[in-house]
Amino acid sequence: MELNGGSVVAMVGKNCVAIASDLRLGNQALTIATNFEKTFPITDRIIIGLPGLATDVITLKERFRYRVNMYTIKEGREIEPETFAHLVSSTLYERRFGPFFVEPVIAGLTKPSEGSVPFIAGTDLIGCLTLPKDFVVSGTASDKLFGMAESLWEPDLGPEELFETISQTLMNAVDRDAFSGWGAVVHVITPDKVITRTLKGRMD
Amino acid sequence: MEAISHAGTVMGVLAKDGVVLAAEKKVTGKLLDLSIAKEGGYGGSGEKIFLLNNNVVAGVAGLTADANSLINYARQAAQRHLFSFNEDIPVEQLAQRLCDLKQGYTQYGGLRPFGVSLLYAGYDPHYQFQLYHSDPSGNYSGWKATCIGANNGTAQSLLKQEYKDGLSTEEAIALTIKIMSKTMDSTTLSSEKLEFSTLTLDPTTKQPLAKIYKPAEIDALLAKHGIEKKEDDVAMAS
Amino acid sequence: MECSFALVGKGYVLVAADTTAARSIVKMKSDEDKTKVLSPHLVMTYSGEPGDTVQFAEYIERNIRLQHMRNNHELRPQSSAAWIRRTLADSLRSRHPYSVNLLLGGYDEATSTPHLYWIDYLGTIASVPYAAHGYGSYFALSTLDRYHNPAASLEEGLRTLRRCIDEVANRMAIGVGKFKVRVVDKDGAREVELPPSVSVA
Repeated sequence: MELNGGSVVAMVGKNCVAIASDLRLGNQALTIATNFEKTFPITDRIIIGLPGLATDVITLKERFRYRVNMYTIKEGREIEPETFAHLVSSTLYERRFGPFFVEPVIAGLTKPSEGSVPFIAGTDLIGCLTLPKDFVVSGTASDKLFGMAESLWEPDLGPEELFETISQTLMNAVDRDAFSGWGAVVHVITPDKVITRTLKGRMD
Repeated sequence: MEAISHAGTVMGVLAKDGVVLAAEKKVTGKLLDLSIAKEGGYGGSGEKIFLLNNNVVAGVAGLTADANSLINYARQAAQRHLFSFNEDIPVEQLAQRLCDLKQGYTQYGGLRPFGVSLLYAGYDPHYQFQLYHSDPSGNYSGWKATCIGANNGTAQSLLKQEYKDGLSTEEAIALTIKIMSKTMDSTTLSSEKLEFSTLTLDPTTKQPLAKIYKPAEIDALLAKHGIEKKEDDVAMAS
Repeated sequence: MECSFALVGKGYVLVAADTTAARSIVKMKSDEDKTKVLSPHLVMTYSGEPGDTVQFAEYIERNIRLQHMRNNHELRPQSSAAWIRRTLADSLRSRHPYSVNLLLGGYDEATSTPHLYWIDYLGTIASVPYAAHGYGSYFALSTLDRYHNPAASLEEGLRTLRRCIDEVANRMAIGVGKFKVRVVDKDGAREVELPPSVSVA
């Protein structure tokens, strides 16, 4: 986890969810790239965040894309957040004794006919799911993210308030982490659209 | 080959900014339950026209069971390519994959070949919009406009007369509907008898956009192009 | 000490690799080409475990060539990079992983844009404006942070590259020797000469 660095956080709001990641890709203390997003859209209503070993981040992104595409095309409908979370979990557990070094975070909304209910989940590197009601943190700044999220998050935030809360949480947490930072990307998923904004932070 | 010549017609027309695919459905009946198909994520009834990948739609003519197996193979091949190369599979390569499989069954004894012809409408950055046809032997070829299935001879000669280079997608849609209405066995053209799809570029993202029309959209399209029973009769009388 | 650099300019990518083949503290060769032209618009530098490097580079080279012949067109830089990455990522979890680091420069004819990828032996990939591998990266990346200009002409790009090499030569405890430089642009890949070094006071 400390080889490439990187952090992700997801939060629940009122009829919306937010997920954000930093942009750094490092090789131990050396920064290689500052455009490395760790969040990946799965459907119009689900985004996965994958902090951890960068090679596994990319491999898993591609594996999930493969499996979700086959699911979508065969079922003739998009995958639901909870179903996807279990897909993530089983994909990781397949490698129980030689794991991918990634701790995913999933954020999504259920389909409108089921009330666009916010869904967030986190798993450890072998796919053990946790389903909190408030927020999920992961990555090299996860301890700092816990502190920030714990103090800033409150229930029933609207999309714009949630955006502000998650942005402040992530930016202030990664400023205290040498392995994360170099700006961030924030997505807020609402029933009718995904709001994506790129943030500049302390670019050092 | 015999089965294909009796199968519902599938027609493809290449335009400068898109490809159009239309297919005639054969199996219909009041008792056939299409309620699930109507809600389907990709539209269409899933009988003749299938989405193979983001950038390719295919129309099939022949044995339905064989076709389903080929469609599944194509979808997996396309996803494997995406997985290895992080790009949508080039249309010709996808056609090649299927043809390699089909050719295999003509060479080894004991098994029968796939009794399916396909039309592939697709887009890739190398050759932009493309239309391919493949037959059960594993031959494939690229076309500006072509037709497979029942009455394909009539349709092809009509296409030959009416096709012009540099058509727009709208014009190609009109041409397709016009010729389909002339060649199909039934006199009435409606969503019960027709499947329809287009492949264009999304105006904002410039990514390929496959659209398989839902039954209601087909009826709307037919109404827009004035293909209804009465007008057809008038045209024939004149 | 092995090191390689690369940078993107206006419509081109420059890649450079040192030409020293060393074993332990002994310099065995000073004209080893650690770059490869994979297809008309794709070049790569490679470094890492001796033995693995050449073996892996040739494997990549042949496969990219095969793709070119089968499909009558070049594999695009994005797709080549993705395929090379997959090969390394698969190899990482095999019984004997290749330990090879690459810089991949290519020109995409479909969109007329240059692309540069930093790839390491783990299968990590990053699309970057400039990149370096080896101990040289600790000096060169800072130099490139300061002097890199994505809209630079080829002459300007070569001068920036020269600065990097001079900086590394200046600061490195061990001499780095000569560099092999290749450029790839719309006209394809070719070797270029570095401008003479300007004394950095």
